[in-house]
Amino acid sequence: MAAPERDPLTGYSTTGHEWDGIKELTTPIPHWWVTVFLGSCLVALLYMWLFPSFATTTGVFKGTLGWTSEGQLAEEMAAGRAAQAEWRRQLADTPLDEVERQPDLRRFAIAGGRAAFNENCAPCHGVGAGGQIGQFPALVDDDWLWGGSLAAIQQTVRFGIRSGHEETRDSMMPAFGEMLSAGEIDSIADYVLTLSDPSAAASRARLPGAELYAANCSACHGAAGEGGRDFGAPRLDDAIWLYGGSKQAIRQQIATPRMGMMPAFAGKLDDDTLRMLALYVHSLGGGER
Amino acid sequence: MPATTLQGLAPSRAIARPDIPHAVRGRFRRIKTALTGLMLGLYFLTPWLRWERGEGLPGQAVLFDLPGRRLLVFGLEFWPQDLPIAVGMLVFGAMALFFATTLAGRVWCGFACPQTVWSDLFFAVDRLIVRLVGKGASERRLRTLAWVLLALATGVGFTAYFIDAPSLPGLLLTGQAPAIAYATVLVLTGTTWLLAAYARERVCLHMCPWPRFQAALLDRQSLVVTYQDGRGEPRGRRRTPLRPDLAQPAPAAPAAPALMGLVAQAVAFSAPAPSPSLRGDCIDCTRCVTVCPTGVDIRRGLQMGCIGCGLCIDACNEVMVKLDRPEGLIRFDVESAPRRSFLAPPRVDWLRPKALAFGLAALLALGFSGYGMATLAQVSVHVEPQRNPPFVQLSDGSVRNDYALRLAHRRAGLARVVLHAEGLEGALLRLGTQDLPAADVVRVAIGSDRTLDERLLVVLPARAAPSGRRDVTVVVSEADTGEELARIPTYFWGPER
Repeated sequence: MAAPERDPLTGYSTTGHEWDGIKELTTPIPHWWVTVFLGSCLVALLYMWLFPSFATTTGVFKGTLGWTSEGQLAEEMAAGRAAQAEWRRQLADTPLDEVERQPDLRRFAIAGGRAAFNENCAPCHGVGAGGQIGQFPALVDDDWLWGGSLAAIQQTVRFGIRSGHEETRDSMMPAFGEMLSAGEIDSIADYVLTLSDPSAAASRARLPGAELYAANCSACHGAAGEGGRDFGAPRLDDAIWLYGGSKQAIRQQIATPRMGMMPAFAGKLDDDTLRMLALYVHSLGGGER
Repeated sequence: MPATTLQGLAPSRAIARPDIPHAVRGRFRRIKTALTGLMLGLYFLTPWLRWERGEGLPGQAVLFDLPGRRLLVFGLEFWPQDLPIAVGMLVFGAMALFFATTLAGRVWCGFACPQTVWSDLFFAVDRLIVRLVGKGASERRLRTLAWVLLALATGVGFTAYFIDAPSLPGLLLTGQAPAIAYATVLVLTGTTWLLAAYARERVCLHMCPWPRFQAALLDRQSLVVTYQDGRGEPRGRRRTPLRPDLAQPAPAAPAAPALMGLVAQAVAFSAPAPSPSLRGDCIDCTRCVTVCPTGVDIRRGLQMGCIGCGLCIDACNEVMVKLDRPEGLIRFDVESAPRRSFLAPPRVDWLRPKALAFGLAALLALGFSGYGMATLAQVSVHVEPQRNPPFVQLSDGSVRNDYALRLAHRRAGLARVVLHAEGLEGALLRLGTQDLPAADVVRVAIGSDRTLDERLLVVLPARAAPSGRRDVTVVVSEADTGEELARIPTYFWGPER
């Protein structure tokens, strides 16, 4: 093996290897490249020191900055909240029916309400709040079991229906299947069907179910089927039937009634969000004054 | 700055190219100065023009209103959906450029291109500074200062198209302008300094694609800057006697174009005779090279570096006048036209199919854009049925359909509109935010933001509700005059029966 020598043309030395007179230059890596490479290594070490970077036998090295992705999310959420602070303060200070008259505040509340609705309410009531016949009431129509004013909606959202909350809206329809015969239930169903038919206004009093209805049902549902919002008793004189409007469905509802349950959202959602939800539901087309 | 020449086109004789092209006077210099002044004036002054549009609207005549997503040009307002008009204008620009190039070579490059205009400005400033303080360190510092100031002015001038111009300098100085304004100023200052102050003709020679495809547009009938080699060669010193055919006032013998081409090639590839006994009109003073902004030697024929600005024509004419010889040794000329003499003006065939086709295409594109501008929809309405749920059953048996209604307009004085559903007898309409009882038409006031974003509720009595789908047209009219502004076809959905 020949000794390393300096190549006269390039100024670099050779490796000292030689094959058939061919020698190999040790062309060094450029300085700038080495500098950048070493600098990058230092930056990588710095990152490892600052951030969670490697597992230990008992857990994980947490980094000296104490950074976590959860913490970052929380910070960003807090920053988002802080950016909304002025709007939220206004919303908290303004009575709900006053909010409806302030276009910008209303837009803020309804946007927040829509997001909260899609997260918390849509699973039952549907994304468009169309409800589901036989299950959950529609919130876009003009029929309300417990009232459709802003205050009534807010109370329902806050405390729920048969939710177990101490301020919950609560009522119970008796199961008439054990108290009345099948024939009597049949006549009541026939009578209830005529309540929403204006052409039967004169003739319906002669039906056999009229007397039975007056004795058993009118206390809650009203003498003419106008419903009773104090007890969440639905109107029977309209075109909307939560559990179905066929005679069979009505008979079943008299004999073994189903009653919906809605959870209370007070405590689960903050006060601002509850107000936004009430405003949003109120804006869907059926809101009452 | 070292001289830049295209590879392979080094001058046959070493010509010392000045770092700033020499000044020249003449016809094309005057045209160029006037155009440069006009273009720079337009660029810097346009944002300062005012145009009253009414309350709540910007008063700047030409404004790219990015937050409002609109372009305001005097009485016109463009929205993003008007993009086809911009496409039409771009096609017009391209076709007009092809048309001009086919007829008269690179007049765009030589006279109107921003790179040329700004380079010309910087060359003029450089010459002025050298004349005032002479060469040296202070000259270099002064030049750098002038470059940075001009580049900064260009950057601020550009930003003024996006932010109200009169308040922009104050905002920038007090740190109240948005960050994007500072970024724009910085980027435009940087690019102006880089392209116009530092790179200058290198952009034309090495970066710009345009010289690369000018060959596809030029033909033998195009007017291009031409050195009449038949008249100029052989070059010689002034003392050398002039060729007798040129010295005589009699017209020169017409030379066939093919022959001229051969002569040109012979000249280009053979070294000129060291001391010819006779010379043509060219005394090889190299003025044409030292005034050229891109440093080409036009005597070597049309080449990629030539931007067709005609300054060498001015320079050569100056010399010809001093020599008491006719002007036009270098001139705008066509390659193929038969010449009666070197002095006769070139005969240009303006009516060529290629030029006509480009001209026609440009006019068509312009017409397309003009038609678009003349028929801009002043009111844009969207009515989107809300299909979740498809319809709402109401207590009294009637059926309601909900629609997302969005309206935006750019019409002066439009304050109230009336909505009405055509094709639905007995339909009652109201907006989600309105407390009014539903009526067969809905009236709504439009605020100063000129937009509406509402929920439109349409109720149909039970007996009138369709089974399934029915086509409906929502008609929007001006409240006071009843003028129809928009008709939007949509549908109403009822329960299946």
